[in-house]
Amino acid sequence: MDRAYQRTRILTNHLIPNSPAQTVCLTSNECLSYSPPELSEKYAFDVGEMRRLMDGHDVEERDRLFGLIIQSKLFNPRVRGGKVFVSPDYNQSMEQQREMTWKRIEYLSERGVFRGWMTGKGEDVEMKRFACFEVLGLFDHSISIKLGVHFFLWGGAIQFFGTKHHHDKWLRDTENYLIKGCFAMTELGHGSNVRGIETVTTYDSNTGEFIINTPCESAQKYWIGGAAKHATHTIVFSQLNINGTNEGVHALIAQIRDADGNVCPNIRIADCGHKIGLNGVDNGRIWFDNVRVPRENLLNSVADVSPDGKYLSSIKDPDQRFAAFLSPLTAGRVNIAVNAVYQSKVGLAIAIRYALTRRAFSLKANEPEVLLLDYPSHQRRLLPLLAKIYAMSFAANYLKMLYVKRTPQSNKTIHVVSSSFKATITWSNMQILQECREACGGQGLKTENRVGHLKAEHDVQSTFEGDNNILMQQVSKALFAEYVAAQKRNKVFKGLGLEHMNKPCPVIPSQLTSTTLRCSQFQMDALCLRERELLNRFVADVSQCLARGESKEHSFNTNYQLAEDLGKAFSDQAIFQTFVEAEATLAAGSLKDVLGMVRSLYALTCLEDVTYLRYGYLSVDNAAAVRGEITKLCSELRPHALALVSSFGIPDAFLSPIAFNWVDANSWSSVQH
Amino acid sequence: MASSVSSQQDKVLVEANSFARIITLNRPKQLNALSFQMISRLLELFLAYEEDPNVKLIILKGKGRAFSVGGDVATLVRDMRADDWRVGANFFSQVFKLIYLIATYSKPQVSILNGIVMGGGAGISVHGRFRVATENTSFAMPEAALGLFPDVAASYFLSRFPGFLGEYVGLTGSRLDGAEMLACGLATHFVPSAKLPLLEAALCDVDSSDPVIISSIIDQYSKQPSLKELSVYNRRLDVIDRCFSQRTVEEIISALEREDVHQSDSWISATIQTLKKSSPTSLKIFLRSIREGRLQGVGQCLVREYRMVSHVMQGELSKDFFEGCRATLLDKDKNPNWEPSKLELIDDARVDCYFCKVKHEEWEDLKLPNRSQFELPPYAIAKL
Repeated sequence: MDRAYQRTRILTNHLIPNSPAQTVCLTSNECLSYSPPELSEKYAFDVGEMRRLMDGHDVEERDRLFGLIIQSKLFNPRVRGGKVFVSPDYNQSMEQQREMTWKRIEYLSERGVFRGWMTGKGEDVEMKRFACFEVLGLFDHSISIKLGVHFFLWGGAIQFFGTKHHHDKWLRDTENYLIKGCFAMTELGHGSNVRGIETVTTYDSNTGEFIINTPCESAQKYWIGGAAKHATHTIVFSQLNINGTNEGVHALIAQIRDADGNVCPNIRIADCGHKIGLNGVDNGRIWFDNVRVPRENLLNSVADVSPDGKYLSSIKDPDQRFAAFLSPLTAGRVNIAVNAVYQSKVGLAIAIRYALTRRAFSLKANEPEVLLLDYPSHQRRLLPLLAKIYAMSFAANYLKMLYVKRTPQSNKTIHVVSSSFKATITWSNMQILQECREACGGQGLKTENRVGHLKAEHDVQSTFEGDNNILMQQVSKALFAEYVAAQKRNKVFKGLGLEHMNKPCPVIPSQLTSTTLRCSQFQMDALCLRERELLNRFVADVSQCLARGESKEHSFNTNYQLAEDLGKAFSDQAIFQTFVEAEATLAAGSLKDVLGMVRSLYALTCLEDVTYLRYGYLSVDNAAAVRGEITKLCSELRPHALALVSSFGIPDAFLSPIAFNWVDANSWSSVQH
Repeated sequence: MASSVSSQQDKVLVEANSFARIITLNRPKQLNALSFQMISRLLELFLAYEEDPNVKLIILKGKGRAFSVGGDVATLVRDMRADDWRVGANFFSQVFKLIYLIATYSKPQVSILNGIVMGGGAGISVHGRFRVATENTSFAMPEAALGLFPDVAASYFLSRFPGFLGEYVGLTGSRLDGAEMLACGLATHFVPSAKLPLLEAALCDVDSSDPVIISSIIDQYSKQPSLKELSVYNRRLDVIDRCFSQRTVEEIISALEREDVHQSDSWISATIQTLKKSSPTSLKIFLRSIREGRLQGVGQCLVREYRMVSHVMQGELSKDFFEGCRATLLDKDKNPNWEPSKLELIDDARVDCYFCKVKHEEWEDLKLPNRSQFELPPYAIAKL
């Protein structure tokens, strides 16, 4: 039967409960068969064009890399339901998974995928590198982390903290994997509070060497990706103690293994063991027993020690010096945020494709069962998340551009935006994957179907490279500082998207109509209103504490609830802004129309947040109007669901069997093969 | 008039044998080159057989020493000169619709490839469920040497060869024999030609569309051929993977040249020569096409290739197709003057143009036949 007709009929019956059944079904026990959504769903816009908008750059490079993965046996291709799927064999032991991760990296290296990653310069190189990372992350989190540690942390540290002789000595070898780098910052006793690490480095002017030491068990380096098995070199973060003065945290290069993989003298390494995810990464622990390294191994762009043992630094303020050391973590945060967006895309593409082929329950006896996505409740579960990931996709593109166009002046903005986006997107990724897992029912539990397994693999994103809660507190603190600075100098707000604070406070109409709710100006006003009010309130409450003579730290700590709400308000508004900007680049047409609906759905979902009622930014009636409009938007976007997930540009091979012919993939004949 | 219709109909013979229909391409002197009329006739037959409950199986074969050398390009170029480029576009639109129908057909098709299979000949056979190769089979996609590019959803099937063999076969037009076709999945069976009459007779006794049953019948006449000692499949897959996985045609050629320095090898230098003699435009657009096709369904591949082929027919971006046909099929001087003449003269923006819609009021994207009314078998669904 024609699918569109069938659906219309089901919906008609749904809306007019007493309409008589139009056909008498004679074969109620007919077997279920898989109907490909490609044949029944229509594309109202050019999905290729939407993909280019979403991916934003280097589409051809991405496709080549997808091809390199699909065409190699190393990436564990399996045929299910007549289609090839690639994904690591997570049933392998931890040791085997690590070996496979390394073999895949070798293959990609031989194919020239990393050419120019360390030695190349410019925005194009960096954007291409991001694109490759996104593609590799779609295959497996372990491979992207293993590469991320080597290129972005180890390589990035040398690029950012090193000077010419470090660049000349290490970058080309890093690019060609002649050495394998890792990044030893975190310790057992200190994670987010890097300034508290306990590893100590002293200088011996007699030999011109630094001596790195792990003085106590809590100072052992922990979670060091690559350290347990493969890495030959590491960046070590330690307190630099020169002539009895602690100059704060500095970074040095130390060799930890020889070329044959034997651990170097005075280095002890242990494994972090099996983890809930990322078992293809060999996380290790390192102890340094007075390890001696040449003076040149100090990464000296920020500070240096002269041969005779004098401490020299161009940055006098230890706070600023420390901030300079954390800059490579920004690239990591950008990568994490972007990677999380693509994981959500995988989850949503699978769950939505499944919902377009899986049926459950008939509305009336002898009628065909209803497609999951034709249930308003199922639409309500998945489509707002789809809208969210569209928004976050544009936000991720904006963040990448902000990063590659970085200047000394933009450092603060990058720090604040990357912190807030990293936290918001990774949290939302976990929420999206959980919803997608549940929307796939039991099938979501099978590792081969990816959705459920991705949760375990990406859970770590909410704490590494900055704990999300702490990052969000930093966002609120930065906004506070911005506010106080503007007040003090009696100047207008400029930067961090706070310019709206200079304008009069927007007014929400007392009765919100559908037209108003879908208007991007209204949506922007509503998001700015919340940010403004929360910032005012936060500043007022913190100032009150300060006036009572409490310390700044204590004042922030006690106002943590407002700080959380404010951080979220900032993120939502900033993300929405990137959506509006992406939409503005499009010419009028069906693509823009559909994207406009997606944007409205995203904005209204933000407006459903509890803060709007908690602080009274929306009346109860208006909150109900928002909720009603979301339901309407969901049903209007339902016909575009397949096109919207196809626009993610994720090849079929990177999704999973339930996203396609799951009947055939589970047939008896497939068992026999 | 009547006689010309019937003479056209003679080019495609049909034999009904209980539940099987045997379609024979019958233009042996032209090596079963496919004319517009033959394509239309095939389309008509396939559409009718799908609706006909008395048809359970289609057998497609060629008369003479070729299965089919592909579209009748010489005639096409003549017709386009007399009329205009849209004659060409229309021809390909018919061919591509037929291919989509075949690729997603609800009943099994057994193609007996006992001879030359090229271009469109591959298009109407390899997308079907069963492809029987023999010791006489010789497959090639030689379009790049003709100023065209491997079409007929070659970006779908070549890209699914192991490793980067598809890039190699499509860019160089190299031939594969029956054993190689079986090895790379292009053929599903290898049957010695002497056994073909028996196979055909056995298939005509089938009263089922069940691919398992049909496959087991063909299995009874099949054997496992051994690859020739010098087969690329035996000896060159590593080099092919290393070189043909490179980003661009230029990088592929320099990778081959690097290999040539390491191990002086006539196969490598011949490969380089072939690439250098082909239309630079054709090579570049095909490489882009196969890389995209690897990640797409067969329908998307055909829609994209139809855009590309329409641009080639229109001749505004390059006239290499007409030049290639002149040099190879008409004047036969084998000395085409490609324009642009060098790879480095063709930038990405120029390649991009082939993948955009054709700007002409009467042109539109390929409309694929609607398949939603049929219950498609899993192997067809997997290609969507």
